Formats: sequence, C-alpha cells, structure tokens
Amino acid sequence: MPKSLFVDPAPLFEAGEITFKPIPVNQYNKTIQDELKSKNFSTEDLLHIYHDMAMIREFETMLNLVKTTGAYSGISYNNPGPAHLSAGQEAAAVGMAYTLTIEDFIFGSHRSHGEILAKGLRSIQQLDDAALTKIMEDFFGGTAYGIVKKNFNGSAKDLAKRFLLYGIMAEIFARETGFNKGLGGSMHAFFLPFGIYPNNAIVGGSGDIAVGAALYKKVNRKQGIVVANIGDASMACGPVWEGLMFAAMDQFKQLWGDDMKGGLPVVINIMNNQYGMGGQTRGETMGYDFAARIGAGVNPEQMHAERVDGYNPLAVIDAYRRKREILDNEKGGPVLLDVVTYRYSGHSPSDASSYRSKEEMELWEQFDCIATFGKKLIDAKVASQTDLDKIQADIKESMVDVFKLAIDEEISPRMDLHKNPELLGEMMFSNQTVDAFSDATPEVNHPLSENPRAKQIAGKVRYIKDKEGNPVSKMKQYQLRDGLFEAIAHRFYTDPTLVAYGEENRDWGGAFAVYRGLTEALPYHRLFNSPISEASIVGTAIGYAMCGGRVIPEIMYCDFLGRCGDEVFNQLPKWQAMSGNILKMPVVVRVSVGSKYGAQHSQDWTSLVAHIPGLKVCFPVTPYDAKGLMNTALHGTDPVIFFESQRIYEIGEQFHSEGVPEGYYEIPFGEPDIKREGKDITILTIGATLYRALDAAKILEEKYGMSAEVIDTRSLSPFNYEKVIESVKKTGKIVLSSDATQRGSFLNDMAQNISELAFDYLDAPPVVVGSRNWITPAYELEYAFFPQPETIIDAIHEKIVPLPGHVPFANFTEAEQIRRAKLGI
Amino acid sequence: MATVVIMPKQGQSVESCIITQFNKKKGDSVKQGELLFAYETDKASFEEVSPADGIVLDIFFGDGDEVPVLTNVLVIGQAGESIEEFRPGGAAAPAKSEEPRAKSQEPEVQAPVSASTTSTPTAVTTTTTSGAISPRAKNLAEKEAIATADLQGSGPKGRIIERDVQSAIESRPKLTPLAKAEAKATGATATEGTGLGGSVTSKDLSAAKNPVYGADFEVKPVTNMRKIIAKAMHASLQNSAQLTHHLGADARRILELREKVKKAMEKGYPTNITLNDMVGFAVIKALKKFPQVNTHFLGDSIKYFNKIHLALAVDTDRGLMVPVVKNADDLSIQGLSNQFKEIANACKKGSIDPDLLSSEAATFTISNLGNYGVEIFTPVINLPQAAILGVNTIVPRPKDLGNGAYGFVPFIGLSLTYDHRALDGGEATRFLKQIAIEIENLEFEI
Repeated sequence: MPKSLFVDPAPLFEAGEITFKPIPVNQYNKTIQDELKSKNFSTEDLLHIYHDMAMIREFETMLNLVKTTGAYSGISYNNPGPAHLSAGQEAAAVGMAYTLTIEDFIFGSHRSHGEILAKGLRSIQQLDDAALTKIMEDFFGGTAYGIVKKNFNGSAKDLAKRFLLYGIMAEIFARETGFNKGLGGSMHAFFLPFGIYPNNAIVGGSGDIAVGAALYKKVNRKQGIVVANIGDASMACGPVWEGLMFAAMDQFKQLWGDDMKGGLPVVINIMNNQYGMGGQTRGETMGYDFAARIGAGVNPEQMHAERVDGYNPLAVIDAYRRKREILDNEKGGPVLLDVVTYRYSGHSPSDASSYRSKEEMELWEQFDCIATFGKKLIDAKVASQTDLDKIQADIKESMVDVFKLAIDEEISPRMDLHKNPELLGEMMFSNQTVDAFSDATPEVNHPLSENPRAKQIAGKVRYIKDKEGNPVSKMKQYQLRDGLFEAIAHRFYTDPTLVAYGEENRDWGGAFAVYRGLTEALPYHRLFNSPISEASIVGTAIGYAMCGGRVIPEIMYCDFLGRCGDEVFNQLPKWQAMSGNILKMPVVVRVSVGSKYGAQHSQDWTSLVAHIPGLKVCFPVTPYDAKGLMNTALHGTDPVIFFESQRIYEIGEQFHSEGVPEGYYEIPFGEPDIKREGKDITILTIGATLYRALDAAKILEEKYGMSAEVIDTRSLSPFNYEKVIESVKKTGKIVLSSDATQRGSFLNDMAQNISELAFDYLDAPPVVVGSRNWITPAYELEYAFFPQPETIIDAIHEKIVPLPGHVPFANFTEAEQIRRAKLGI
Repeated sequence: MATVVIMPKQGQSVESCIITQFNKKKGDSVKQGELLFAYETDKASFEEVSPADGIVLDIFFGDGDEVPVLTNVLVIGQAGESIEEFRPGGAAAPAKSEEPRAKSQEPEVQAPVSASTTSTPTAVTTTTTSGAISPRAKNLAEKEAIATADLQGSGPKGRIIERDVQSAIESRPKLTPLAKAEAKATGATATEGTGLGGSVTSKDLSAAKNPVYGADFEVKPVTNMRKIIAKAMHASLQNSAQLTHHLGADARRILELREKVKKAMEKGYPTNITLNDMVGFAVIKALKKFPQVNTHFLGDSIKYFNKIHLALAVDTDRGLMVPVVKNADDLSIQGLSNQFKEIANACKKGSIDPDLLSSEAATFTISNLGNYGVEIFTPVINLPQAAILGVNTIVPRPKDLGNGAYGFVPFIGLSLTYDHRALDGGEATRFLKQIAIEIENLEFEI
C-alpha cells in the first residue's frame, strides 16, 4: 500500500464496461512446406522433432509394458513404483521444449517423463560435444556417465542421449545411479544442467514454485524464461491460482524500478489432456470450457493466453516463438498456453479407463501425433518411411541397452540402507553455511548506518536495565523485534539474493513492525507486498530457493499455515532429500503466533511443522535468542520455520545482563537454554509460555520453597535433549508447557523422549501442560485456555508432588483426564 | 572469640580430604595440641591437633566425609559463643549427609519443602498408600539402604517419591559407611546407634544373623590408600609390557664399605650409609650412563630427564608408599643416605608431602626387599617410569676365584623390571649389568 498509488474515488464509480480481446484458438495453419520455405526449420530440425517424439513414446511404452506385463523386449523386470505415462502427449512436450535453451527452466507434474526427455534431448542437440561431456563427467562424479560409456562407441551426442535415458530410467527404478540417487523417482525426477527443474507429484505443485523461479530470474537478472507444465485439472487448485495471481501482480509493471520494471518471465503451460484422474475437465469437473479462457480473468493482458494444437509440434513451437517475444522484449509475462493433447494410458497403469469409451481412444489414435507428423514428413519429402523406420529402430536399440543397464543390480545398485542405515538421514538437511549466494553487490538504498530504524535502535538500551540498574522505559527498550530486524538487515546487506515478502511487508513494515525501516533501505524487488495468499508466498519462495536464492517468506499469523499446507508440508521439507542433495532450500519462513484475536488468530501450531521431517523449527522468545537464531537461520541452507510470538515483540532482554550484542553472533539450532537455575523441579517451555513458567517458578519458590529450573527449548527440531536430561537427573521432576493445545502437542513427544532417557531418575512421570482442546476464546477468557502460572502449579500439585495447602484451580485429576479424552475435548 | 579449625591444604594438587576419624565430639573440652581428627588424601594420612584450649562448640562433618580443603571443619571456643558464622555455606545441618561433599562444594540450604513435609508428610496425601515408588525414589532407597516397605508415600496416590526416602534418611541415625554397606548387603536395620554422635555402626545392625555362630566374615571398607595402590598396580600391569631380568652382583666391595662405615661411625662419622644407600648410589651412576632408562614412556613419546629423581618403595603400616628424592644425581652418598631416611620416616609418620608421592615425580624407582630375605621377585613398575629395580638379599654363591679355586662369595640379587615398550631386552640387560659393575666397583670417601 504505497502512498504513490493514489486511490481516487471518482473513477471507481464511473459507468462503463470491461472489454476482452478475442483469445486465439488453434490458429496455426502452416504446412511443413511453408515452414521450410520460411526457413523456420531445416529438414534436420524436423527429423530431430520426429526422433524426440518417437523416443518419448518408446520410453513410455517400455514403462507401460514393464508395469502391465512385467517385461520389456523379452527382459523381465518388476517396477513396483508409480508410472504416470504421457504416451499421446509427445508433440506437446517436444514443441514446448524446442525453443528453450539450458538457460530456460521447466517445471513439471507427476506426468512429465516426456517433458524431461524433450528438454533433455533438445539440450543435447544445442550443446557442443565438449560442453556435454563436461556436464556428464561432473554429474555425481561421473557415475552414470561411466556406466553408459562402457562398451559404447557412438558419438558424444548419442552417448549423451543414452546418459539422459539412463539417468531418468535409473531414477524411476530407484537406483542410486539415477539423476536424484533414486530418491525422487518417477514423479520428481529432474536434471538441472539441462534446465530441467523438479517435477511435482502434487497436482498443481509447480503452479507457484515455477513462478518463484521466474521471480529469481528477474530479481537476480538471470537469462531465460520459466515454463510450468501443469495439467488442465490442476487449474482448479488453489496454489495454482495463487501462483497466477502472484505472477500477474501490477507492482512488477507499476512500482518496480528501472530494469526491474516488467512482468515475470513465466509461461503457465497447460498440458490439456482432457482428464484429471478420471474426471473430464470439459463438461464435468471444470467450467472454463477452454482452459485458455482463464487468462482473461487474470489481468488486462489476459496472460496473452491462447489455445494451441498440441498434436502438432510445429504449432506449439510457433506459439513459443511468439510468446518468447512477449516475455523477452515486452517483459509482458506471465503467459498462459492451453495446449490441447490427449493421454492414451490411464491416469496410472492401475487405471483401466472405465470412464472413457473405446471409440474415443481409437479416434485419438487415428490422429496420433507421431504417426501424423511422420506422414507429413514423408509427404513433404523430408524423409522416407525407411528413414523413419531407421530412427525407430535406433531408438529401440538404445532403449533396450539402457534398460539392461538400469535394471542390473550390480551396475545400478540401490542405496544400501542395510549397510549404511543413516545414508538417507544424512540427506535430510544440507547443514551448510553460505554468506551470500551471489558475488554481486547487494542492492540497497543507503548504508545501514544511515537507516532511520538502525539509528533509532542505536539509541536504545539493550538490556532491561540501564547502566545504573534502573528499569528502561518502553520507548528506550531494545525489543525482540529489534533483534529480528538487526539479523535480517545484516543478511540483506550481505547476500544480494536475499528477498523478503509477504502481507504488509513494505511501507507498513510488517504487521508487527519487524521490517520497519527496511522499506527505506531496500528497492522494491528485494522487499515487497505479496497478495494475501500464503500458498503463493511460500510456494514461490521454494522456487526462488531451488534456483539458488535466499528468501524470507512471511506468514503473518500462524493460523494461516493451513493456507500453505502443501507448500510447508510437502514441498519445502522434501526437496533437499528428494533431489539427492542437489538442491538447497535456504528459506526462512517467518510465522507469528497470535493472541487476543480469538479462535482463528491465536494458535500455536509449532507441533504441526515439528512433525514433518525435513524442516528446522525454532521459536525464540528473547531479543538475544531471536537475533542469534535468525542470524543462524539466514546463514544456513536449510528450510526453517521461524516462529515468533505477538505477545512479546516489545519485550526487552532480561537474561543476558551484558545486553544483546550489537555485532553479529549465532545461536546453534537445537540447543535449549536454561533461563533460571533450580534444583527441585524442571519446567521446559516452548515459546512465550516461558514468561508464565518463570512466574510459576517465582510462586513455587516463595510459597512452597521449591526451586524450579526453567529451560527454554528455543528450537523444536533439531533438539538436543542432553541439557534437559541433565536437569531432570538433578531434579527428578519435569513439567512441560506451551500454548499449543494439549492433544498432539509436540511437548508430548518431548515428554516421551524424556521418559525414555531419564526413566530411572524420575520421581514422577513428565507432565504436559498445554492449552485446552478448545477454540481459543476471547482475550478476556484466555486465562482458562492457555497455560497460566497457576495451572502449571496445579499440574505439579496433582501429578508430581502434592504441595501443602495448595488449592488448585485447574482440574488435573486422572478421572478428568479420562473424561476429557472420551469426549475429545 | 571462637577458633575455627579448617581442613588444611596438603600439597598443590589436593582439592579435598577425607576425614577418617574425629577424636573429639561436640561438647568435649580440648587442650591445645590435642588430637582433633585424622584425615587422609589419596596418598597420605595426617592428623590435625587443636590450635587452642576450649570446648568443641560444633563439628560440621562426620567420619568418612570428604571435605574440600580450606573448609571449616569444627569450632573451638567457650560455651555460649555463636558458631553460625563459621558454618560452611551458612547453615548446613552438622554431618547431615552421607553424600561426598565434593559434589556440591557449598553444602546447600535444606529445601524448605522437605522440612515442611518431614513434619507432615501425609497431610497432603490425596489417597491411601499404593505401594508405588518412583524410579528415582527407589534408586535413592537402594543406595542409602532404606527399606521402603514401611514408608508412607507422599506423592500423588500415595506414591513414594524422593522426598519420602530423603526424610527417612534424615530421621534415622546416621550409618557409618561400613554399616551402610552391610545394611545394603543384608537388609539389616538398626534403630539406635552406639557409634560417634549416635551413628549406627555395623555392630548395631539387627540383621537376621546366624544365632549360633553369627556371620563368619566381616566386611571392611577398603581404605582410600588401598584403593589408590590397587588402582595403580592394576593399571601398571594392564597398561604396559613388563618383564624382569635377574642378575647377581658381587657384594664383597659394598660389604667392605659397610664395615668401614660402621667403624667410622664409632669414631663419630655422622652418616649411617646402608647397603641400600650404596645400591641407590650405584644405580644413579648407572642411570647417568643409560639415559634411555631415566625416562617416562608416554605412548607416542618418551620423556628424557636431565636430572635423576630416584624413588624408594617404603613399607608402612598404611600400605606401600613410594616417595622420591628429587635431583638425586646432585647428591653425595651422605646426602642420598640422609634424604632416603628423611622421606622414609615422613612416610611412616604420614607427614610426607603428597607431591613427592606422585609416580610422575620420579624417573626411576628402587624397591629393596633384601632386609626380609627375599631372594628373587618381580617388582611392578610405577608408570610412566620405564623401569624399577628390585634389590634382593645377599646370598653366598660359588665363584671361580681363579687358578681353579672355587669359593663362596656373597652376591646381591638384582631384579630389573622394565617396560618392553620403552626398552629392549639388550639395553635393559646392559643397564642391569652396569648396576652390578657400579656395585662391584663402588667408591666413596668416608
């Protein structure tokens, strides 16, 4: 909401109408002779197109036969994994890939073998032998290259084709020699040196990730465009729509400055094969009639949408040549293409296509894209039937050769988790530190010392008491939000690739004023407001990081995590391991836990993300910890869900009497911190509950003569239990507390671990005090919902050690525990 | 003004000492110079005498307690004087705990929670006794030999929790370490103690012993000293490659010298130079020629010493002690003799500087069992030293006296144990032979 955009009421009420330009449908009508005459293609180009389509068909046929008959070319093999095949869609894939270079990135879906092969084969045609050889030699130490090179005497390009076939096939068969060490598999395979970015097994998964890749290209001034190959049925997915909205934001054209002005270089390429699983998108599950119509609803340029004949590779290529002009010269992205095609096989080999008629399938086969194109080549005297047969025979031969290599247990072994049980565990995180992901100079508007916020912080007292020991006024207090600001500003001035965005991140300075001052410091393309659509905020960040940038997406309220569930649960945590550790994921998702705002704005969902393998999760609640952990998060290469609490953005530092250091320092993930030493009972907390636990400790000391040790977890995952166990060995008693609702709280997991690790030292079972399994009530009723100092003491009294004269408020009796569980409350 | 007696600091490396026995109890009157208590480090034992006349106003520790050095142990003064200011950490219950104090150097203030619940442990118990016991309480009960069957649990649902066991420990008479060990082994209990300060001794335990013969054994705790010796000897044999060569030296020369010394002493010669002193002197001479023996073997490296620090094994009532004579190569034989006597006496009296007992302080050791008539033995090396010389008794042996004549000649037996990691058999043998040569050709002025 920049002030430069003036919202003038008068025009908003003027009468008028919205007009649309016609959206072209299958306008391509050139013949092969026309194209040859216009020198758009050489005969060699046309034969390449035929070859590439035929190779995809043979590849998918091979997989189909393996799945349905257990053998290919007389060689038995059992492939238990998935195979979503794209036979029928070859012209659409090859046409899509034809104009692209290795600078252009494609993202795919669960049905993308064809797209990978098309882009890979096209890259092989474009690259010279030396470049190809270098790519193959460098990839995973040349393992796959060594396998295909042995006993093969063909050209470098023929070798590269076998390398490509082998890499994908071995990946699909879960071999360690595959493109992603067999950890991605059929639905996630990719190969970055050819600009092939991950496919995605979640329908529409690439719809926002690819937009993030385009954002990376734009912000970091990288050559090339990004193509999101997604299905016609995915257009109903929220994240895809959110990706479209993000990609079409006005600010790219209106607010971003200088060379940054202009749309994102992205093509939403709908592989319109008519079906989503068994549902027909036209006539049954969607209402757009033509998928291209969607463009008209997105922006005035209607996303330059058009429907293209995806059964004719030349029509698709023609469309890409024209759209490329728009993306490169007019900076007119995003672009939407509705590429009409058809899949012969079912959704997967287990799908018997009961939802479509035999006649329909036969009719499409009569129009088969490869046969039709072959016939046109013969008619245009580009090739004879013999030439085409030779191409087919060569393909078959290399496919069989590679198949034998890919299924050989010795040549292509799987990851051995018997021998090295922790091999996969070691791939979950990259655990590296990177100062900056680019050598460029970070773009900033002024030195940090001249920044108004930095100047304001410089005048603040960095501990809760001043030098004379007097309490500091709120205005002069260095606050938790200042700690976050300092860490984030430091990284913005160090790493030129760092961008941050989310709702109200610019001008407003973030809803909780963490970013205040950054608007002055940073140009638009490094800090901007996103649409209120969390899936696009996190999804684009994933794409941005995959391409090699660092990013801080912000989710204003923890309660909005559900809005980006797939991105946080399925995408962000998975790609480092699924890529065989090729990808890094330097994404720090800032998530703020609310209070006072009722049921949909006050939930602590740390447990949900801590449950998901592949995420680092922390929740600092002091200025010192917030700055140190943010520094660590922003220095690393792993995805971090960084929780903050709205209860305490203004809290001062009360544990480090020397104050929060002005300089840079890091706090390692996973190390809990003893905030108060004691010897009779341990209280372990997550989040802002720490301060209520400290109050409880005070009451225990004063009223019951018990000295409580209070430990702040700071991180949920990873987590080092040693310090906690040490404390429990001393005290014999532990109560765990956080604001998360009790059932399924991560604290139960911690309590379980503590029980196992310190059983013989325990004087009572570890007791968890969470919030009630209710909606969060109004602020005035929160005392009965969130853990309070009194409830913590009640639990101690009832379950750990009866306290003389204590009259409990909360009911922690066993009967009540059972009653609540029976009722699910 | 009351006088406080602290635990003295004995030697640089000593952090705490164990009080072996108090000779006075609270309320006793005491004269200056009278024995107050005996204590020991891991290497030596000592006695502390009273610095003043007066009454023992309070004693802060009990027998067997480990007390950090420089900590107040007891206070002597006149009746009615306040002792609170001297109490370690402020207000520790005297001799409250069996726990080694080293764990918490400042005895902690007793938690009010246990104080209040000791008096009313059942007041807050919500339900009747269940017999349940927490793992922590059970561990403590086993360690302290508390029978839990009789305890009333004060935890939720009557669970016996740590504080219940703690109050049981506090409410029973203090057990001596021996009594505790026996109670643990036999399950015996005692209601009254007849030992110091009313503590329960093993005799007070009323276990179901055999009524006719009683127990046919007695369990005695191993002294600190014994533990140290056990550990060092075991470690030596486990961690090195030891073997022993035996060789005899013609003892005629040193016996002759010994006679001269005796005669000289009658004429007022001040030093009683013994055969052992002479062997020590010969060893120093040999070591100078074999610097590779005057070493410490450290695994990856060997430490060669420029000076010779010669240790002597001394048998005392408390066990084996091995004090060292530093820079022994600077000494004349009189000097060496005097020093040997001095350290041996200090060991026997228990007044030896603990720093002189460290095996690291010496470069070579002599163990002389000749006095006892031992003819051959295999001494154990004081690691990290590379070798040790065992000296045996003198026995007459036939010897070729030349011209086909044989006669009995006194031979002194020498047993050299060396660490084969540090020395090879050849050089060890040559060194041993060198000692024999030095003994056979020993000279000094009387």
